Formats: sequence, structure tokens, C-alpha cells
Amino acid sequence: MPLILPSAALLIVLTRSGAAPPAPQDTQQAGPKDPAKKKDKDKAPKKPKTKYPSFDFKNHPSVRLAKGTHVDFTARVQEDITRSEAPTGDAGELETVDIGRREIGVEGEIANVIEYQVERTLTGAAEDRWRDVYAEFKYYDFARVRGGKFKLPFSLDEGTGARNRDFIYRSLAATHLAPGRDRGVMVSGRVYKKLIGYEAGVFNHDGRNARTKNPDKVYGGQTTAERVTFHPMRNTKNTIGDISVGVAFTQSDVPEGISGIRGQTVLEQNFFSGSDYIVKGPRHRTGVEFQARPGPASIKAEWIRVETARRGQSVEDTDLSPIVGEGWYVSGSYALTGERKADGLDHPKKPLLPGWGYGAIEIAARIEKLRFHSGSSSEQGSTSPRADTILGNADQVTTFGVNWYVNRWIKIQANFVHEKLDDPSQGPLPSKATFTSKAIRFQFSL
Amino acid sequence: MRVRSLVVTAALLTFTSIGAAPALAQTVAELFDQNTVQEIRLSVNSRDLAKLRANTHLNTYYTADLSWKNVKVRNVGIRSRGQGSRNPTKPGLRVDIARFTTGQTFVGLSTIILDNIWQDDSLLRERLAFTFFEKLGEPAPRESFCRLYINNEYFGLYAITEEIDGDFAKRVTGETDGTVFEFHWFIDKQWRAEDLGTIDKYKELLEARTHTLDADSTLYAPIQQLFKEVNGPDDAVWRSRVEQYIDLKQLVTHIAIEQFLLDNDGFLGAQGMNNFYLYRFQGTQKHRLFVWDRDQSFQFKEGPVEITDANVLFRRAMTYPDLKDTYLTTLEGCARASLENDFLLHEIDRLEALISDAANADTKKQFASDPARFQAAVSFLREFASLRPASVLSQVASIRKGS
Repeated sequence: MPLILPSAALLIVLTRSGAAPPAPQDTQQAGPKDPAKKKDKDKAPKKPKTKYPSFDFKNHPSVRLAKGTHVDFTARVQEDITRSEAPTGDAGELETVDIGRREIGVEGEIANVIEYQVERTLTGAAEDRWRDVYAEFKYYDFARVRGGKFKLPFSLDEGTGARNRDFIYRSLAATHLAPGRDRGVMVSGRVYKKLIGYEAGVFNHDGRNARTKNPDKVYGGQTTAERVTFHPMRNTKNTIGDISVGVAFTQSDVPEGISGIRGQTVLEQNFFSGSDYIVKGPRHRTGVEFQARPGPASIKAEWIRVETARRGQSVEDTDLSPIVGEGWYVSGSYALTGERKADGLDHPKKPLLPGWGYGAIEIAARIEKLRFHSGSSSEQGSTSPRADTILGNADQVTTFGVNWYVNRWIKIQANFVHEKLDDPSQGPLPSKATFTSKAIRFQFSL
Repeated sequence: MRVRSLVVTAALLTFTSIGAAPALAQTVAELFDQNTVQEIRLSVNSRDLAKLRANTHLNTYYTADLSWKNVKVRNVGIRSRGQGSRNPTKPGLRVDIARFTTGQTFVGLSTIILDNIWQDDSLLRERLAFTFFEKLGEPAPRESFCRLYINNEYFGLYAITEEIDGDFAKRVTGETDGTVFEFHWFIDKQWRAEDLGTIDKYKELLEARTHTLDADSTLYAPIQQLFKEVNGPDDAVWRSRVEQYIDLKQLVTHIAIEQFLLDNDGFLGAQGMNNFYLYRFQGTQKHRLFVWDRDQSFQFKEGPVEITDANVLFRRAMTYPDLKDTYLTTLEGCARASLENDFLLHEIDRLEALISDAANADTKKQFASDPARFQAAVSFLREFASLRPASVLSQVASIRKGS
């Protein structure tokens, strides 16, 4: 029964996949400034003048209202099947079938100057249903201005959309330590021949990932966020031309209370959150990221650290050592069907069936760790809200995955996840430090 | 040369550390030393302390660091405790050493009670009562006096009391796997050993302090059965049926000591049974009593020795001549122990001398504005010591004569 949805979607889309247009080129490399392409364009016969409004269906159903003004309609449905040795989610089940996400949205441009996106999820908590809701003034490439609700500029993995992720689940570090979405204003751009990208913004709070369903838990107030990425080989034709390194920071102030930042396993079981550690004062996030996508391969790595102060929280009313959440991952992927990773695999060279293609197939692996600690490592950890050395914990995860991009609308992912907790007593299986999970995701994106 | 100096330095450091070790090691025996008023210091976040004092009716735990001599234990849990003695001025405290740190102990103890001695002007009653229980061969919690400082403020004279738990049971019985139940008294549930019926009723009154993960039926069925048998037919096998579940001889000994001490808040309390723990011997269904909270002992200078009571269990036990004899013999034993070298009077004098400075400096004790109350209460105890033994001996003789 649960497979009806993806099966139906598969059938519908297969009938259209033969008519799919060729995969678009990287827009950054196909602009009018490319002299070779400009020459080809001059030679080509002139296209008849487009009438407005018009409708087309390339990547999305799209209504073109004027030159440079269009509204694209987007939708995404995904369904997950998981099986784990440990309980999962709120209900603590070992096996779940979950229509994880249903989203609809519009995005587009106005006069090639303003870019916008409105995305709403039809599932989940009411307060989280509006996802990205923003407009961006992009007249100047070196200084775009965006306002609304969107992701804070922090973490490569957190910033990667569900359609392009190499694994079903984001890294634990990105999921729990990166801020996520919030309302704010941001300036971004590319400078020095686009070798350096920057993003800097001010936001109401420090993102949705720092909050829980428990309204008593505290999170950061007004937050500033900055991210700088360096693309040293952007202007070369080297095969690893899109290599990038970046750093990111956020700063906010957290009111007195129990922190909303949690440590959870891949399938959302707490391994660090049972204790009521009280925080107060500045919260600093630091992130370092690296990415290289040579040909069909990719390598990504990130390190994130969140430090939240505990001012005046000791039994003597003095400051305690900050609570530190620290995480990292290293991941790699390889497209067996040869697609260039940098172009995205969501447009396979040979989509399934009509031309007897089989889509794009990619294998991936990731190792990662998320750890929480404070104070001296030589002292015994305590669950006391006022302990300098808290009872920390860490989860080390290894994930293997296969991604099948059936065509540009359908993606099927399968992951095998192995987790190991430093202190299993705080985890979902108190007597067992290691456990495995398997997950399959069917994703239909319009 | 350099190597040699390193070796010499290392040897000196080793020697110094070995020599220093005994001075660092404080023991539980030192903590409960009867000849010393200890000094216990607690550091508590000022907001936590304000919350604890504002909500003394709640059992919320707060974090504290505990210091005694050169022992410092971090991150212990403290909470308000007591029944009528709960107050914000001089809060009684339960200190759970391992509350937040698994396996942590304080001189080998996982919990201590800091008793505020709120309802006793003399501050001595419980200490004297426990001494009597011990003297008559009945185990009692170890207890010593201490000056308690919280955040460097003197909170008054407290008693450090050993909690009755698995460790206590092991110390006094040698068993490691018995079951300890704490009795909870409720004003609307005054109980005198009647058959309460369902297991839930017993669970409400008797909280398991060990084997807490056992099924209710495992924990409470033997207690349910005990009181069913206690209230069963008055026939020839009543005693053998009841003795499957409780040590009747120990029970009457316990009650006799309470009676000597004129405690009106004990097993034969005026408001129903109170201030005891029930202990189930390891691998059996048989129980015994442990004494607890004796602030209400020495209520009167004089009073009758009870041989009957509304309490079903005691009343029916007293119909057996050998149990009645045990009861009377224990009363006589208490009286003789008091008189032997004026033990009780000397103990009162000794303890008064020990605590008088700390007690007089205690500005948080109840009625602290009337310093004469302390002396008056101690004088009252001396009168008890003078009158009670002779009176008990005389009453017991009359009872024996009559029977």
C-alpha cells in the first residue's frame, strides 16, 4: 500500500521522460559572457519572438509573464521506509513507513532582477509549514540582498537541497549544529573574479534546528551569520575546477534556560538531551567546509562546533565551562553511469526506458561523528544542570548508500547506517553501543 | 647528574604523597563520630537556593557541592525533606550524592540526611532515642551533629543522619538483597494495621527503596498477605500464620523502646503508625521494623506503659504471654540501661555540652528568638531521665503482678 504513491508517480513520469529536454548546462558556465557560445548563438537562426504569457514544462511547470519574469511551480513528495535495530522517531518503532514530506511551492524571477521562492510543506508542525519564503534583489552579482525566511548561511550539507543530497539523511553535524531556517536579511555575492563568495546576514533567531517541540527550551536571540567560500580554481578548465573551501560563523545570545540543541541518532532518538543543562550567554558556531567534484566523483568534508556559554550557572554563581557540540563528516560519491557530479545527477544522461536508458546510478559513503562535552575530560561527567563537566556522549556513524536517479523527477535512495555510541546508556538501546539501520527513500520532485 | 636529580625528586614526591594519603582519607566512622560537631558546607546557586526555600513543599532536586573537612563532593543533589518540619528558614535536606553522578559516594555513602531538628527545642531527642535503640540491640541509623553552612552562611545545628537504604540494611543485617520499604504517613490515612485490601493501598503507604524495578505483585503481595493474616480469625494458628510475614518478637521489642521513650509519633502513634521502615529479609517473605525519625520522643516526663492499643497487630500480639513478656522485659531493660551509672543523665549532659555553642548560635532554629527554650527543653529531658525509669519499673512490676 505505501508503495502505491511512488509507483504511480513512476508510471506517470516515465511516459514523459522520453520527451525530457537535454540536461541544462551549469548556468555559471553558460552565460552570454562565454565567447565560444556567443559565437554559436550569432550563427543560429533567430527564434521566433516569444508571446507572453506562455506556458512551458522543462524543469518545472512554468508560466512566463514577460521577458525575465516567470513563475515556476514546484512539488515534492517523498516516502521513507526504515528498519532499525534501535527504536526510531517519537513512537520508538523498529520499522516505519513514513510519507516524510509533501511540499508545494512557487519560485521564479521578476524582470531578471528579483528572484523569489515560496515553499510550503503540507505535513509536519503548523509553525514549520512555511519553509523558504523570500525575495532576493540580484541586480548586482557582487551584492545580492535577500529578505524573508530562509536558511542561515552556514554549512555546506545543510545548504544542500533534498533533491541533491548524496544520502537520505543529512550529516548529524548539519542536522543538529547548523542553524537551519530563520527570518532575516542577508547580503551575498561573488567578488575577485568570482573566486570568493560571501554571505552575511542578520536573523531573528539562530534557526529552527536549535529548537525543539518543547517550548520551555531556549534558543539564540538575534543572530548574525557570515560565510565565506573560496573557489581557487573556478576560472581554470581543470577537472577539479569547482573545488571550494569555506568558513562560516554565527553569533547569538541565548537566554537562561535548557538548551534546545540536541544530540540525536540518525533516526532521531536522543543520545544527548536527557539532562537539563542550563545555558546562558553567547552562542558561537564555527564551521569549516571543503568540497571537490572531479568528474563523476565528489568529496565533501565539514567540521562544525557550537559553543554555548553558561554564565553564572555554577553552584557559586560563577560561569561554567561552555557546552560544546562538535561534529564532522567526510563523504565521497561516485556516479557509476558517468555523469558529472558538478552538473547534478538529477538530469541523467539516459533516463529510464524510452531510449532503453537506466537513469543515473551513484554510490556513496560517509563517516561522521557528533559529540557533546564540556569542562575537563579527566573529571567524571555529571547530569547535574550545574556540572562543569557534563555527562557527554558521542555518536559515530558510517553510512553506505546507493542513489538511483531514475529520471529528473524520480530519485530512489537506499542507505545502510551503522552507529556507535560512546555511552549507550543515554541512547535508544541502553545496553548496546552499536546498532544498524536501513532506509529506502522514494522521492518525486516536480 | 640530571637523571639523578630527577630520580631523587621523584622519590621525594612519592614519599610525600604516601605520607599524605592517610590524612586525606576521611571515613564514615569519623563522619558519625559522637564526640564531635562536624562542619558541613554546601555551595548552592543562589537562584536554586531561593527556589528551594520558596518551594519547600516540593521534592525538587537542586545541585550543590558538599564539603566536609578535606573531602569535596561535586554535583550532589539536595532537596527539601520532612513532614511537619519542612520550612524555608532552616530547611531539612536530603542529600543524594549519586543523584547526578552515577556511582558517586561520600565517604562510602550514597545518601545522607541533613535533619533540621526543627520540632525539638532540645535538639537532642532523636540522638538520645537512637542511642537507646542501639543500646537495646535494635539497629538505628548512625547520626552526628553538624554546623551547616550554605553559601558560607550559618544555617544552624543539624543532625547528619544515615539514610535507611540498601547500604544500611547491609550494614545491620549483613544481607545484600533484602527489600527496604519507607512508610509514608498521610493525615487522611491514619492506619493501625487494619487490612487495607488491595495492593495499591499498600503501595501508597510503603515505598520500596530497594528492588524498585520489581513488579508490584512481587513487592507488595507479602505485605498484603501480612495484614490480611493480622486481621484474620482469632484462632490457634493466627500467630504461626502472621509470623510467616513478620518477626513478632522484634516488633514488640521495637514498640517497647518507643513506649519507654514516650514517643507519640511511632508505631503506636496517636495519629496512627508512623516513622518506621519495613524490611523484608532476603529470599523470604518475613519482615522487621527499623526505627526512623525520633524528634517526637520524650514527649512527656511521665506516662503509662501501654499493653493494649487500637493497633491491631500490637493488640493481638500482646495476647501471647511470651511476646508480652518480651515487651515487659524490654521496658525493664530500657529503665535499667537509663539508670546504669546514670547513663541517660550523663548522655544528656555530654550532648548538651557538645552542642550548646552551635545551638546557641543557631538563629534559624524554631523559636530562636527565645534562647531560654533550649535550656528549658534540656532540663525537661533531665527530669524525664530522673522520673521515667523508676516509673516504668514500677508499672511493669504491677502488670506482671496483675497478670
